[in-house]
Amino acid sequence: MGVVHGDLMTLNIGPQHPSTHGVLRLKVKTDGEIISEVEPIIGYLHRCFEKHCENVSYEQVIPYTDRCDYIAAMNNNFGYAVTVEELMEIKVPERVEYIRVIVAELNRIASHLLALGAYGLDVGAFTPFLYMFRDRERILDLFETLCGARLLYNYIWVGGVSHDLPPGFIDAVYSFLDYFEPKIEEYNELLTYNKIFIERTGDVGVMPPEVAVSYGVTGPNLRGSGVKWDIRKDEPYSIYDKFDFNIPVGAGKMGTVGDCWDRYFVRMVEMKESVKITRQALKGIPAGDVHQTLPKKIRPPQGSIYKRTESPRGDLAYYIVSDGSPIPYRLKMRSPAFTALSVLGEISQGWMMSDVLVILGSLDIVLGEIDR
Amino acid sequence: MGILENRFQDNVVVASMDKLLGWARSTSPWFFQFGLACCAIEMMATAASRYDLMRIGMIPRSSPRQADVMIVAGTVTMKMSLRVKKLYEQMADPKYVIAMGSCATSGGPYWQHGYHVLKGVDLVVPVDVYIPGCPPRPEALIEGLLKLQEKIQADRPLTKKIA
Amino acid sequence: MSEDQDKFIADVVEKALQGDMDAINNIEDRVTRSKAKAALVKAKREAKAAATEDTSKSEESKTEESAPVEKSLSEKVAACLNEKFPNSLESEDVNGHIQMKDKNWFEIAQYLRDNLDFLFDSLQCVTGYDFGENEDLEVRYNLHSMTHNHAIEIRIKTDRNNPKVPSVEQVWRIGDWFERETYDMYGIEFEGHSNMTRILCPEDWAGWPLRKDYETQESYHGIVVQKVKDGWE
Repeated sequence: MGVVHGDLMTLNIGPQHPSTHGVLRLKVKTDGEIISEVEPIIGYLHRCFEKHCENVSYEQVIPYTDRCDYIAAMNNNFGYAVTVEELMEIKVPERVEYIRVIVAELNRIASHLLALGAYGLDVGAFTPFLYMFRDRERILDLFETLCGARLLYNYIWVGGVSHDLPPGFIDAVYSFLDYFEPKIEEYNELLTYNKIFIERTGDVGVMPPEVAVSYGVTGPNLRGSGVKWDIRKDEPYSIYDKFDFNIPVGAGKMGTVGDCWDRYFVRMVEMKESVKITRQALKGIPAGDVHQTLPKKIRPPQGSIYKRTESPRGDLAYYIVSDGSPIPYRLKMRSPAFTALSVLGEISQGWMMSDVLVILGSLDIVLGEIDR
Repeated sequence: MGILENRFQDNVVVASMDKLLGWARSTSPWFFQFGLACCAIEMMATAASRYDLMRIGMIPRSSPRQADVMIVAGTVTMKMSLRVKKLYEQMADPKYVIAMGSCATSGGPYWQHGYHVLKGVDLVVPVDVYIPGCPPRPEALIEGLLKLQEKIQADRPLTKKIA
Repeated sequence: MSEDQDKFIADVVEKALQGDMDAINNIEDRVTRSKAKAALVKAKREAKAAATEDTSKSEESKTEESAPVEKSLSEKVAACLNEKFPNSLESEDVNGHIQMKDKNWFEIAQYLRDNLDFLFDSLQCVTGYDFGENEDLEVRYNLHSMTHNHAIEIRIKTDRNNPKVPSVEQVWRIGDWFERETYDMYGIEFEGHSNMTRILCPEDWAGWPLRKDYETQESYHGIVVQKVKDGWE
């Protein structure tokens, strides 16, 4: 579709809007119904995360990292803990590694459920939202028995985890996984292969792989465009190299490679893969003490480190500079949703007004992470 | 109601005007979904399948003109505070505000070094109910809404005008 | 009293380094025992650092005799850049990152992206850095290659009072937003950027927030910004 420049009208999809996934402002220039330019304006949730990190100690940074990407809080904690541990050269016990992988993958499933449910809501389907939230509540119940919190956990600490698994947790997770796997088929019947959904999302908002790489897009958005890149496989951290799982990529089944349907479907298949990883981890979890290598005082040696991990939204990285004191000197969080949002202007040119929100929903952004 | 009580058949109800207005306003308040940050996810979870908000009559409305209650869920930043004020002024009377979560109450965990964070939404709009928590559980949000209902019922709109 | 205590702790640590932990474990006073344990950890760390220095020195001398040392990626890139763009590196030695002058950063960036050996096709992260009050500012780039799966870090220093760095927006399209964010937080201007405006803070915000000498402004459009509310502290 070509870009039309007639008499342009500037429309404001304001910071308060039901489908902007948070406080995002889109300045849209349209010619009638067809978009000529989309400019995302962010900063409405800028909570000075990096300034806080320069004033509190390393342990106290962990609750702040929770609140950045509040939908996948365990993965944020995981990335931070792994980065500081590499800076301090701490090796955590096996049990801690297995517990971390289990909670991170469960949180990945919960995050994808919310993303896909909200996406259905954007497109106009209310039922998948309720079904997916029903299953997400079961995961949040598991987390509540584990560490007491539903949404923001402060669970994965530098050098270990905060609480050991309560008795009966492993059986509870097994029963949840047995309950959940057939549900994915139910969602496929409800939404994925629904004709209206395919019409609305197939062939819309195509992102070619070169554009994706140049804009720094990672995670399911990049895999939807056909590029097979996953940090859990390509630069493994923790014990991900011990598990056997596939990386789904978009293949243009319902349109072109890299359209919204591909990004949606990659997330759907990733949930299945996460279930696989969790099962393997549960089978192999050893006994041990989870508080064994918790350092008394976190005081990393002088130096800097840049470490990448895979969060449900993409490639989450922390750049930490330490000057030997118990407070970080500089901490930068490279968030995947920031780069994913920057590509919106490029891929939504020429589409219609209602398609912009479909494309935005397929990018799965969280404003807390973008604005920090 | 004194001499009027139980005077008529069963299908006739007698009440004071204030109580009637209180009952009409407090049950089924439609809320303006103003989800900003993490508390918005808990607000969504409260409106979803398990803790159903629709059973107490609340529906999410996206336009301020159609809403009675504004639930400010999440951190309000300086950039956003001007818009909060504008949206509050666009709501029609009678309107109420609930500050959900510690960020909306007083700045939350960002109170100390947050240069861009508004330390409590009550600096720009008048708040009726504060719900603490980070984030507050769905049960806490429902309790806050029920407290708001009590507050609305205790309000005497007509008496005030006369006095 | 403390001198005796120090001497006592030194003796006990000596014994522990030679393998006799009973001396420390038998100290009755909890405070002294914990001080002795801390001193032991410090002594072990210093001994390890000295040992690795010795072994690395001996290894270096060994390898110098036998075969040329394997160059790290940063060293290879630095050597290549020295040839193609002479006098653009700030310093010769490379310890994990390449320190560069801001002279022809745009051309170097294009070269790094297109050269077939390196192919750094993705800019991972742009970080601003402040060395302290009245010191320089710095911009750090983390580059990564999808095809070869290798990564380097490039640092460019700039003066605090007039910070300017060439923009790489046209080389990696994500440079657009990353550079706006660095401008917003540190005040570093990127020459050649198409839209050098604030991205996170409001347009009329005063000051550069992440600098070490940042003072929060008093009020914004009539609303109080400062953290101190009546009766809080």
